[in-house]
Amino acid sequence: MAQVVSLLANLRTTTGKGAARQARFRGEVPAVIYGHGRETQALSVGAKALEKALTGVEPESTIIELAVDGKKTRALIREIQRHPVRPDIIHVDFYEIHAEEKVKLKVPVRLVGSPDGVRNAGGVLDQVTREVEIEVLPENIPDRVELDVTALKIGDSLHVRDLRISNATILTQDDLTIATVVPPRAEEVVAPAPEAAAEVAEPELIRKVREGEEEEGEGEVEGKAEAKPEAKAKPEKAEKPEKPKGGKES
Amino acid sequence: MLAPKRVKFRKRFKGRTKGMATSANTVAFGHYGLMSLEPGWITNRQIEAARVALTREMKRGGKVWIRLFPDKPITKKPAETRMGKGKGNPEGWVAVVKPGRVMLELEGIEEPAARTALALAAAKLPLKSKFVRREER
Repeated sequence: MAQVVSLLANLRTTTGKGAARQARFRGEVPAVIYGHGRETQALSVGAKALEKALTGVEPESTIIELAVDGKKTRALIREIQRHPVRPDIIHVDFYEIHAEEKVKLKVPVRLVGSPDGVRNAGGVLDQVTREVEIEVLPENIPDRVELDVTALKIGDSLHVRDLRISNATILTQDDLTIATVVPPRAEEVVAPAPEAAAEVAEPELIRKVREGEEEEGEGEVEGKAEAKPEAKAKPEKAEKPEKPKGGKES
Repeated sequence: MLAPKRVKFRKRFKGRTKGMATSANTVAFGHYGLMSLEPGWITNRQIEAARVALTREMKRGGKVWIRLFPDKPITKKPAETRMGKGKGNPEGWVAVVKPGRVMLELEGIEEPAARTALALAAAKLPLKSKFVRREER
């Protein structure tokens, strides 16, 4: 069964990024609640209370008992937006649910045990899919789905069809791989470093090169070889007018 | 070393890196990751050095994901050349990285081993970075 967590929320009258930033500065997290035919409402919840409520639970499959201005509502978390670098939560979406109405949600898949291919053959357990979408009544929402992987040998896989979730319909495709045991990587042989010429090799151009451009490109290469004697000759002329400038600066 | 096979243009403007990573800012494939904390360019040589350090430390276990691709050409003028006469020749490739980018990911090893391996890889990169886990940021 899913865990139930209580949380206090306040109605938010101001919207937009300026107001949201101010709310975050005050230690609140902007939030929104929608679903079950209700009008979307802007809320704010305490940042510390939210972090505390979400510690040690699976946020996506946890029922939040939200008290909005004294009125209690049951909701699921549809989305949590986080800061790209810091661990701060910057916005939360709540989705209102009702006891008699089925909801679609994603529940995490947890692998249990150590596969045979990892213990005895040195393989690597790769979990490809980490959550599956299910349709279920709120009272039957599982906290997580556990899958036993102890029997897996190298090359073996488990798929969504191997999952058993009571009182729920799995909406994710049956043939999607959840976990597989891959063979260990071969010892890396350090190849001799390729010559610098291979590195400089330019990739092919996708677009068509216009005639004028080709000439320019060639001209550049040719120009450099020819430009050297010119460049040597020029400084004598160029240095003379530069001298007075340097003199002024000093 | 990583480099594009085909490109539309041989040379590109230098550009300025603003803001934070809006994509690739969560651990998506593995269980542990290395997140950049500052903007910068990472060359294909640096990516290769980090990969080699990582795979050597992990020996045969675990799986690695490199979530960088050096698709920006870098030009350089030859030595002892006077300024002007156009932009230099393409000399290498870099990946543009913004803060928050998860650059490398690992799976299949224990956390202490993952921390050690990613610290060795981080030492090959020119940016400040931090170790991140799937659950937390």
